[in-house]
Amino acid sequence: MKRLRAVRELSTVAILIAEILFFTWYLWPEAGRAHPFFNAENFLLILKYSSIYGIAAVGAAVVIISGGIDLAPGAVIALSGVVTGYHVVVQDWSIGPSVAVGLSIGALSGLLTSVLIVNIKLPPFIATLGVMGITRGIAFIITEGQYYDVSSKLPPGWHPLGLSIDWLAPITMFVMAVIFQVLMTRFQWGRAVFSIGGNETAALYSGIAIGRIKASVYVLSGLLASLSGVVLVLVQGQGKADLATGYELDIIASAVVGGASLAGGRGSVMGAVVGTLIFGVLRNALPQIPGATFYDRLIVGLVVIVIVVADQLLLRRSSTS
Amino acid sequence: MMRSRYLILALLFMAGCGSGSFGVACGGSAPKTDAAAATPRKMRFAIIPKALDIPVFNYAKLGAERAAKEYGDVEVLWNAPASADQLKQKEILESYITQRVDGIAISSLNGEFLADTINRAIDLGIPVTTWDSDAPSSKRIAFYGVDDRASGHIMGEEAIKLLNGKGKVAIITSLGAANLQNRLEGVKEALAKAPGIQVVETYDIKEDVIRCAEIIATGSRRYPDLGAWISVGGWPVFTRNALASIDPSKTKVISFDTISPALDLLRDNKVQVLLGQKYFGWGSESVKLLRDIKNGNRPSTPIIDSGVDVVTKDNVDQYEQQWKKMAGTQ
Repeated sequence: MKRLRAVRELSTVAILIAEILFFTWYLWPEAGRAHPFFNAENFLLILKYSSIYGIAAVGAAVVIISGGIDLAPGAVIALSGVVTGYHVVVQDWSIGPSVAVGLSIGALSGLLTSVLIVNIKLPPFIATLGVMGITRGIAFIITEGQYYDVSSKLPPGWHPLGLSIDWLAPITMFVMAVIFQVLMTRFQWGRAVFSIGGNETAALYSGIAIGRIKASVYVLSGLLASLSGVVLVLVQGQGKADLATGYELDIIASAVVGGASLAGGRGSVMGAVVGTLIFGVLRNALPQIPGATFYDRLIVGLVVIVIVVADQLLLRRSSTS
Repeated sequence: MMRSRYLILALLFMAGCGSGSFGVACGGSAPKTDAAAATPRKMRFAIIPKALDIPVFNYAKLGAERAAKEYGDVEVLWNAPASADQLKQKEILESYITQRVDGIAISSLNGEFLADTINRAIDLGIPVTTWDSDAPSSKRIAFYGVDDRASGHIMGEEAIKLLNGKGKVAIITSLGAANLQNRLEGVKEALAKAPGIQVVETYDIKEDVIRCAEIIATGSRRYPDLGAWISVGGWPVFTRNALASIDPSKTKVISFDTISPALDLLRDNKVQVLLGQKYFGWGSESVKLLRDIKNGNRPSTPIIDSGVDVVTKDNVDQYEQQWKKMAGTQ
């Protein structure tokens, strides 16, 4: 299984590299023009926007590996951003405490999801669908269609860690990916998540505290989504209720393309991050092809299917050999 | 196994090269020869509407492409989020900046949200204009579109005329875009001058025509004595059935936008007043503005009022004839 995971992650990275090489060739500029795709500024742009999905996709991958699903990240991203913005702009709080409140929103929504799934025994799809509606609804109630202009409250020329603000999201994404990769592969907790997703009954008989592990998975997923929301509001400068609408499907798709099996028990946090980058490159490069504006969604859909079908074939071949 | 996956992925991309305009690009995008470099370089202007699924913007695309063809030295790059998503629109704007296009014309989903990015483009020497929906706090060079507040006044005044100064009015809008907000304020200012008019509700339909139809149906039941619906966007007239629940003898409709099937709805008396924008002009004038700026001719004023066409049953035939001429269908 370990070998399979390594092969799966490497092949996802290989797809990303192939994709970059393809677009570098395909979008080769006329003489005298700079390359529109293969340049450092553009790669930072891809990282900056992919990270909003990527941070939440780390949590989504953990949930999917545990055999569950979380439809709330998009709404939690919006609500966390709105709550952070509200405290910065309306309450005139400093950034630190406002961010802490924004993050606590994610933990609270995750806790609510956990209660619905673990204690009330709702299917994860229904529980997170409900939480998605509740969190998005609260965001609209708080803002009443307006927005919080956080950028006006940030220190002029703010450079967290001495870097451009654009790096905040990618760094956060990679740090979270490394932390959760270690948690999932080197700690008892991670092994328990894989066990529950693989075979919940067997996990129960082997003494794993299923309820507690599942609860922790959804709380962490909520926390990571809110981290994405907080980063979004700091980088983009606005807390608004309709931000990240529909992003949950992109986040889940990233985790799946990155190797997470919706049947549970299999997947990779690092793979999910690479999955978001695969989509980020497509989102960035396809519109640069003249006439491709109306094709890009079709191609993204086909890419998801091709990668997942190929993954299934890989899995079948590995299990028969 | 892995090799076959890459082959499938490569084939997938190649499949896109087979036909249509997308296919044409495949032949021309490989590394360029010196011969290509010898031909005069076209100016690449990015024209960004609010979303690809809003029908009125198709006419802006037509206008932009027609203008580019006429000038011969302009290439139009047309892209937007599939549906209204301000973060994705900002990502597209930033992407065009990194591509160092020669000019950008954008219809802002949220002008405040885009202001810093527009300013960055200007600082990098990329001229930016706005159309349809402005970003007034940014350093954009010019805005081409309707005077939204004045258009709102017209809508409010038309409603007062239709209701003889007395009755209940419900307003439909989408919160967020500055142009819609200005129209909404214009409508309310005009209605406030008629003491007999009562605004019972302002609905946010979130740029969603289905939601709009639902709101009209439920709102009509909630207020059976409603005198008029005023929509600051074209959502009620983008579909044939959104106004089905309205009895024209009791409730009048004043809506923005005149694209099909709006004119048919006007002839069927489902709507009484339409305000038409310069849809083709959004594209053609944006191309002209950017080209002029690149050639050193900046507009004398930053706000270029396109004006609106007020269409009623009295002038609908004449308006439609003009429209067909513009669309090249006559």
